[in-house]
Amino acid sequence: MSLIYCRTFIFLFLIGILNISASELPKGPNDKPDLNGVWQVLNTANYNLEAHSASAAMDLVVGPVVPIPHPSILALGAVGAVPAGLSVVEGGIIPYKKEALKKRNENKEDWLQLDPEIKCYLPGVPRATYMPYPFQIFHSEKAVFFAYEYAGAVRNIYLEDQGEAPIDSWMGQSWGYWEGNTFVVEASGFNDQTWFDRSGNFHSDKLQVTERFTLLNNHTMNYQAIIKDEEVFTKPWKINMTLYKRIGKDAQLQQFKCVEFVEELLYGKWRAK
Amino acid sequence: MAGFLYSEPYITAKTWFGDPDLQGTWTNSTLTTLERPSNFKTLIVSEQQAKTAALIASKGNDVYDNYLKEGETPKKGQDVGGYNTAWMDPGTKLLKIENEYRSSIIISPKNGKLPWDAKKRREYFSKDARRKFKRTDHPELRGVGERCVVGFGSSGGPPMMNVLYNNNYQIVQSQGYVLIMAEMIHDSRIIRLEGSHLPQLMDPWMGDSIGRWEGDTLVVETTNFNWQHVHRAALRHYFAISKNAKITELFKRISDTEILYRFRVDDPSLYKSAWVGEMPLRAQSDKIYEYACHEGNYAMANILAGARAEGK
Repeated sequence: MSLIYCRTFIFLFLIGILNISASELPKGPNDKPDLNGVWQVLNTANYNLEAHSASAAMDLVVGPVVPIPHPSILALGAVGAVPAGLSVVEGGIIPYKKEALKKRNENKEDWLQLDPEIKCYLPGVPRATYMPYPFQIFHSEKAVFFAYEYAGAVRNIYLEDQGEAPIDSWMGQSWGYWEGNTFVVEASGFNDQTWFDRSGNFHSDKLQVTERFTLLNNHTMNYQAIIKDEEVFTKPWKINMTLYKRIGKDAQLQQFKCVEFVEELLYGKWRAK
Repeated sequence: MAGFLYSEPYITAKTWFGDPDLQGTWTNSTLTTLERPSNFKTLIVSEQQAKTAALIASKGNDVYDNYLKEGETPKKGQDVGGYNTAWMDPGTKLLKIENEYRSSIIISPKNGKLPWDAKKRREYFSKDARRKFKRTDHPELRGVGERCVVGFGSSGGPPMMNVLYNNNYQIVQSQGYVLIMAEMIHDSRIIRLEGSHLPQLMDPWMGDSIGRWEGDTLVVETTNFNWQHVHRAALRHYFAISKNAKITELFKRISDTEILYRFRVDDPSLYKSAWVGEMPLRAQSDKIYEYACHEGNYAMANILAGARAEGK
């Protein structure tokens, strides 16, 4: 039995012990678990999928004693600091090919210039899931649709395989199906412009993502994503995290159309004097 | 706003949680314009008039596709255009409701024209801080569509208007919510079916929408408009929505392939009276693809950089 299957078995076993039984899960359409709601992670994966200590800033330069924040973000003080986090990657480390790892490290060095999040570009998959903003799942008998607060990004999850995407896109093309009580989404057709986090982890346009959404109880859902990209990685790798359901007044997606917030950054140099 | 009183009753299917089902992919592309053109005298027009309008529109394509003859170069200062018809989807027919062609989307006032209040309009726009600049001075002075903030011409609504392209919408529903995503800039309105409006100081793009079901009709009320989203300009229409406006929309299935969409604009800051429009949303079998506007917005940099170069 491969390591991945072994871990899946252990995971399912733990679900059985730690969470309510499948028959007690909130029921959605077609007698499947109800995925509707406003969901959000409570982790630091968007800073770095891999384990990281807390640090003074995402962009550090050499200081007299220890690295110090890059001058362009120095004024943010503690607000610009990075909270620590454990790796959400199974096995801890992303299995980069040698040249790709070099590129990842260059990306990280030049984070302020290169991270698409800074320019308010669409986040791609799976990053959209674990950004520090909620997203809402609309799950009906006819459609599954994800609306993300960040940048107003959206994904329509087709319920039948649409074949190869006719054109690459930022959010890719997705279709989903049920495996028991898990909603599985196959996403492909991506361009190579999005990152996985603020630490320069990246992919090519050969990226394929298999996401697994497993409702654990009324308030939590397990999220796994298997990432395949032969151009960049030596083998497929998996991330694993928990999504939390917002309740009460917090269960309302607000608007974060950040395009207007980056106009000064992108176009400020061409303002009339 | 009066409810829907159409002669053909239609039994609307229900979602798994019992709400009337509006879900699917829809289009509002049509040749019919918001205001009634002067060549039409009545709201309802004959089939012959509709055929003539379609013929004239199809001949107009040549203007876009053959803007310059082969080998010809634009004259100095000449507008070189932006699109050929491969990129456009403005519709090929006048809109039809209850088997009758319409000459305008506006059904009230009866003349099919916007009931502007010229004095109030002048007053409202005289307070707009943007007036003192040239439109090429700063990015915030360009149209919301050029900025890729929201779609131009009110395509995402409210009211949801047909424009030159991307006239497609996806509606999905969950218990307590209706989401309407416009293809244009993936503008999504998440309509809450209970609760109250956001506090006045919150003014999201496209306003704040709250809905309720009246029978099989979805009634949506939107307030809290963003002051920057006042101009709703497209090639074939211009109107304005002030930050004080209230817009009420009705959505009702009238056939397997149509939703009747009616809206009423109450905006006494700009208009003498309320105005009401109506159009069908037609079922669409094509897919909606990603419209990543901001990510490919080279135009904004070029417009501003060009203006600065010109000023040197």
